[in-house]
Amino acid sequence: MRAARSAFATGLWAFPLATAGLAVLSLYRESLGLPVSYLSLLTLILVWTIQATSWNILSGFSGYFSFGQAAYVGTGAYATAVLYGRHGVSFYITLVVAAGLCALLALAIGGLAFRLRSLRGEIFALLTLAVPFILGALARTSRAIDGGQGIPLPVPSFPAQLGLFQDFLYLVGLLVAAGAVWTAFAIAHSRFGWALAAIRDAEQVAEGLGVATFRYKLLALVASAVIGGVGGSVFALYIGFVTVESVFNLNFPLFVIVMSVLGGRTHWQGPVLGAVLVVVLQNRLASSHFESWQLIVLGAILVVLVAVAPEGLTSGVRRRPWPVLGAVFGTTVILWLARAPGQPLDWILVGMLAAAAVAVWPGRRRRGLSIAPTEPAAVQPSSPRSSASAPPASAPPPSESAPLAPAAPDPAPAAPAAPAVLVECRKVARYFGGVHALEDVTLRIHEGEIVGLVGPNGSGKTTLVSLLSGSLRPTRGHILVAGHDTRTLAPHQVAHAGIARTYQIPRPFASMTVRDNVAMAVMFGRVPSRLTQARARAEQHIAFVGLGPLAGALPSALNLHQRQLLEIARALATEPKVLLLDEALAGLNPAEIDSAVEVVRRVHRAGTAIVIVEHLLRVVNQLATRVVVLDRGTVLADGEPRAVMSDPAVIQAYLGRSGARA
Amino acid sequence: MKFLQAALTGMLLGGLHALMAAGLSLSWGVLRIINLAHFGLILLGAYLTFQIASSWHIDPIATLVVTIPALFVAGALLQWGFDRLAVTELNSLLLSFGLLVAMVQAVSNLWTADFQQMTAAVNPYATSSLSVGRLVFPTTTLIAFVLSVLIIGGGHQALQRTFIGRALRAFAMDRTIAAAFGIDHRRVSILLAGIAGGSAAVAGMLFALSTPLAPFAAFEWFGIVFAVVILGGIGNVVGTLLAGLLVGALSSLASVIHSPATEPFVVFSLIVVALLVRPQGLFARAGGS
Repeated sequence: MRAARSAFATGLWAFPLATAGLAVLSLYRESLGLPVSYLSLLTLILVWTIQATSWNILSGFSGYFSFGQAAYVGTGAYATAVLYGRHGVSFYITLVVAAGLCALLALAIGGLAFRLRSLRGEIFALLTLAVPFILGALARTSRAIDGGQGIPLPVPSFPAQLGLFQDFLYLVGLLVAAGAVWTAFAIAHSRFGWALAAIRDAEQVAEGLGVATFRYKLLALVASAVIGGVGGSVFALYIGFVTVESVFNLNFPLFVIVMSVLGGRTHWQGPVLGAVLVVVLQNRLASSHFESWQLIVLGAILVVLVAVAPEGLTSGVRRRPWPVLGAVFGTTVILWLARAPGQPLDWILVGMLAAAAVAVWPGRRRRGLSIAPTEPAAVQPSSPRSSASAPPASAPPPSESAPLAPAAPDPAPAAPAAPAVLVECRKVARYFGGVHALEDVTLRIHEGEIVGLVGPNGSGKTTLVSLLSGSLRPTRGHILVAGHDTRTLAPHQVAHAGIARTYQIPRPFASMTVRDNVAMAVMFGRVPSRLTQARARAEQHIAFVGLGPLAGALPSALNLHQRQLLEIARALATEPKVLLLDEALAGLNPAEIDSAVEVVRRVHRAGTAIVIVEHLLRVVNQLATRVVVLDRGTVLADGEPRAVMSDPAVIQAYLGRSGARA
Repeated sequence: MKFLQAALTGMLLGGLHALMAAGLSLSWGVLRIINLAHFGLILLGAYLTFQIASSWHIDPIATLVVTIPALFVAGALLQWGFDRLAVTELNSLLLSFGLLVAMVQAVSNLWTADFQQMTAAVNPYATSSLSVGRLVFPTTTLIAFVLSVLIIGGGHQALQRTFIGRALRAFAMDRTIAAAFGIDHRRVSILLAGIAGGSAAVAGMLFALSTPLAPFAAFEWFGIVFAVVILGGIGNVVGTLLAGLLVGALSSLASVIHSPATEPFVVFSLIVVALLVRPQGLFARAGGS
């Protein structure tokens, strides 16, 4: 994904070329001397490629595993069987009907499931597991659909030049499969794909950065269902006789999951690789009288994969493409030359297994990134030279803070007569079951402030941050952000209204580099932007917090301090009006604290109001223009730092009765 | 009268579903393993009962002497494997799905995919029934209900009263803290999984007693059993029993009032409604999170 645009451009010509190349196999089958049985095997591979790709678009990309693949297959197959098989409607029209029905089904499932507050991946998986059973029961009992005896499909009419029915079926399968894989490819290379990856890595964080998670999940579900449904129609034609047992069948989820996990479910290529390998393996098992072992072998593969190689083959294939190709061809050719027992397909299978072994072989580890933490002060924020990739003139450009005077005390913000109110809490209460986390909190945050939010453990600080950022909703009372009540906003809309937060325990998107973590926030900000622009902008934010040299590293290579800086950079990238820092300095050593304090100062100088939750009173005193003290869920004090800190009630809450420490 | 009969029969069957769900629910709630292979163990238990009773001509209920220890070991071994691999909740679902499919296929290879049933000579319970006024209950259903309630009740008491039970509950609430207080999570979880395996043996025996067996039955149990698990509250044993009775009565009524085809709809909508309204389960105490 390094150069998304060029990869995408490559795809634009590579896909038609690959499709044409595969079409030649059927169109010139006789001149090539390709037996029809091979063509049928290829067709089966295509049928499964469609289904596995369909599954992967939702479950692989977004991490919401579905066990309901058979629902789409069955719906598509029965749309074709009933309309074309029974009523003589054109086969091609039934493809469209299948797509439409599955889209509706997906909207129903997603509209319901993704609205559940308590939805977790496991629950989604179980819900989707139930759907094919229900549809299957419906089809079995309804005489209008099936009624229990199955529906035969006649051979549709097709141009005679294509040759046999098998050729026609192969070409139909090829077109649908190419469309499916291309869709997955296009999604993987667009904002949509990045949104899904962010949902997979850390859904709540993505939401807080402005990703409309509900919409993207629903879209992915619909795309998956449409492809699965059209694939179901093709499957109906392939089997020629549709019964409830053959389409509403648990083998579908099993096969597609094994294929995608085996191939690699975070990549669009994964399901294709998996489908080729699994179908050929199944074919060989069946022809060597091991039919009854097919499912046992497949189940075992799934168990081993989950336990040993959950990331699948694709990453390995991409890491060492030539050895893998060499293994396929080398092994196959050697077996052929050595006149090994069995058929060519057996040799090819052995070759592919050898290649799979090469791909997952541990081998050398990537060179560790040994980059020393950098001093933020050393960074020259990309001042005027950013004209080439100039982003739209919008909120705080870091260049404004260019002349850095690290040690200078913070000048009082150039406060106009009445600074605007950015966020307002009116009598906010939040309960968790019987626990009253917050009670009757009234609070305003103005432009240009740094509000220190302090209080003993369990006083409700983090709850307040979650309420302000929209990830929790108040039990009572109202929170107004830029004049909008957060109750009426989804979390991503709160982000767009200008609130960003960091997490006490950093939650980076684990599969993305530092640069892309920040670029995510830019891409899905108030003004949506493309990946290339977003990356350029992200570089500036990364340099701003002093992570410049680590832009290409994965979060797992960062230490705690760097991760917390990444959190800040990512939050800044949403161009917030108010930045909520939830214990962004926790666990740092004194030198790191000083450098983090400096970053916070610079953010503030660039015009962002800040709410900082912090236990270190030294830091709060240094930074805050105002201090709010929470105690047992209520506001104990609110005002100028020195006055608040000398308030006897505060001292008692904080330090106990005899409080007399600086 | 027809409705009363349906509701009562449904509730009696619901007891058996609750027994199937209890092992799954405990494993999910306490061990954080969604063990689909539990269905495979139940299936295995059913076929073992069928096989042992048929070939040795002994009372099917007596086969528990063999099947309970066998499945206790199987369940414990599975948990040992899960533990070694340190699987996450979602991965446990995937992994055990693979296991289940392999188990069902293995059962099908061993005993064929056709229906199998103990003959009347072997299984005297299948042909008798109990009449109360105009209500009629098959003896097998009654046995299933009584045994299920006894086991679930006993399990609940054990969880409340015994040291191991308390350790398990502590473990379910916070495994790190529990470990810090000296609870050996490995032994505790393997024991629990073994007990769940034992309950699968009983559930399997009860199935073999009352219905013809087929390998794919394992998949048909999914809907109703997960409805019971989720409605009862994940990890809540008593909740599971109550949910089993409720789901049993409702789905049986639906099938009498409308048609058997509506059963899955009832079950599915119950799951959705429960998730929407009370994700912690219908019978959880207020305030628990």
